[in-house]
Amino acid sequence: MFAIYLPVLLLIIVATLVAVGMFTGTSVAGPKNPTPEKMLPYESGSNTTGASHLRQSVKFYLTAILFVVFDIEAVFLYPWSSLFRDLGWFGFVEMLAFLVILGTTLLYAWKKGALEWET
Amino acid sequence: MNDWLFVAPLLILGLGSILMMLVDAFAKEKSELAILSSITMGVAGMISASALLSGAEAADAPEMVTRFLAVDPAALFFDVVICFGGALSALLAGGYLREHGLERGEFYVLLTLTTLGAVVLGRSTDMLSLFVGLETMSLGVYAMVAFRRGSSTAIEGAVKYFLLGSFAAAILLFGSALMYAATGSTSFTGIAAAMGDADPKLVLIGLLLIIAGFGFKVSAVPFHMWTPDAYEGAITPATAFMSVAVKSAAFAVFVRILFVTFGDELSMSLASGWPPVLAGLAALTMVYGNIAAVGQENVKRMLAYSSIAHAGYILVGIVAAFRVGSEAVSAVLFYLLAYTFSNILAFGSLILLGSRGREAVSFNDLRGVGRRHPMAALPFILGTLSLMGFPPTAGFLAKYYVFSAAVQAGGSMILLAILGMLTSAIGAFYYLRVTVFMFMRDPEPGQVKAIPMKSGYVVGALAISSLFVLGLGVMPGDVLEAASRAASLLLG
Repeated sequence: MFAIYLPVLLLIIVATLVAVGMFTGTSVAGPKNPTPEKMLPYESGSNTTGASHLRQSVKFYLTAILFVVFDIEAVFLYPWSSLFRDLGWFGFVEMLAFLVILGTTLLYAWKKGALEWET
Repeated sequence: MNDWLFVAPLLILGLGSILMMLVDAFAKEKSELAILSSITMGVAGMISASALLSGAEAADAPEMVTRFLAVDPAALFFDVVICFGGALSALLAGGYLREHGLERGEFYVLLTLTTLGAVVLGRSTDMLSLFVGLETMSLGVYAMVAFRRGSSTAIEGAVKYFLLGSFAAAILLFGSALMYAATGSTSFTGIAAAMGDADPKLVLIGLLLIIAGFGFKVSAVPFHMWTPDAYEGAITPATAFMSVAVKSAAFAVFVRILFVTFGDELSMSLASGWPPVLAGLAALTMVYGNIAAVGQENVKRMLAYSSIAHAGYILVGIVAAFRVGSEAVSAVLFYLLAYTFSNILAFGSLILLGSRGREAVSFNDLRGVGRRHPMAALPFILGTLSLMGFPPTAGFLAKYYVFSAAVQAGGSMILLAILGMLTSAIGAFYYLRVTVFMFMRDPEPGQVKAIPMKSGYVVGALAISSLFVLGLGVMPGDVLEAASRAASLLLG
């Protein structure tokens, strides 16, 4: 029963061998001429200043999570619209209920000030 | 009309929580969300209770509902347990949040939505509705554990609970995927029907993964690691809710899946199925939970380990049911109800004994409080007596039914019952130790004395729970009858 997956296994093995082989090949055979500039994390850019662990404002997180919530929920509309004829009035009412709940949450987030950037 | 009765609790909880969100957002002054959410959950629970006690039949509930959610008496029984647990926790929160300056409306919305998730989980008859209910419940609980967001213990508990909970959900999902691979169905009955032709190895692995997933949720040893930290970090009303409603919902669907899906000869045998696995879990859980509770200095952690130990006693009842059948399952149902009220009493009086930003959480905080304020210490004593299994409380009858079912099952189950009774004796030690600190120890010099808070909500919740703990202990007749009817219909 697992025989049909054999090509996949072979593909994984070949891909791994090719990738590992290329990196080993270049690092063994390629010329090395390191300069301080080349050893920087980003070769062409300004030097980093300050600590790398900056504190980000929690507002970004809030905006991101609101985007994810409403974006993912809106995705439900696509399969619904393609099946709209088959579902009929039942589907319409179901989606209406869903949208009312979604709208209520938007209202809640709005009223609670989650959409305000300056607070 | 009659068939609406069986989905009404779900609708009430859903609409109620949306309404509460709007009230929280638009109300100008401090609103009474505690009483609103408590009434929402209480009404939902009472509708289920009346449907259960009147013996109404869900003759023609719409197929759209019954495909995913059960409407049988067992579902109604768990509705009652979960909704009452939620309603009483909301009352406790009403006193607690105000006293400690944490009053924010979203707690009650989260609590009601989590209860909705728990009810869906407890009623689910399909792997899909199970997972939706599980996640609705779990996400709400994670947020409630982290509610005191400035406190590092709360964040620690929430992160541990979140990571382990997601891990457990993934394990559970993998188990149900394997069951789907083996049988081509996701519904509990569909899987059971196709079990004959299924690959027994796949079924066994799926079963073990599902047991492990639920083991996390009911905090059975060795899947209990998150429990003490999450219980300690969470605000006390959330801890009370987790220890009663969340645990009951997990047990509800666990019992259903074990007897509906894995009720066939092969899965229910001592040689190759779930009874030996669960028996091992039960023994480990009882022994470890009780022994670990002895050394705790924090009463909330002690109660966390005690809730682990109680999961062990309930598992004994479930294991016994593979031979005794519905009698043992009805004992489990009764146990969960009794445990809900007893635990609310214990946590509720812990809330009552703290005031103005200073909580009574450690044994030392409780020194001498019983002598200074005997009325405030009384509910704790009643709760712990019931948790110990002392007559005439509900906890005594619950333990009696579970262990006598195990004795009836015979064989190695008798050993489990004996182990349960021995470990209960250890339990008496740490429960009584609290009473000793309350009445026989003086506060250390210079120690801030615990002063009970004044809150009608908390007192009300304690009074209701006390009534039920004593009422179920003295005249359990109707409830037992309902439980045994629910159990016999569940096992079919």
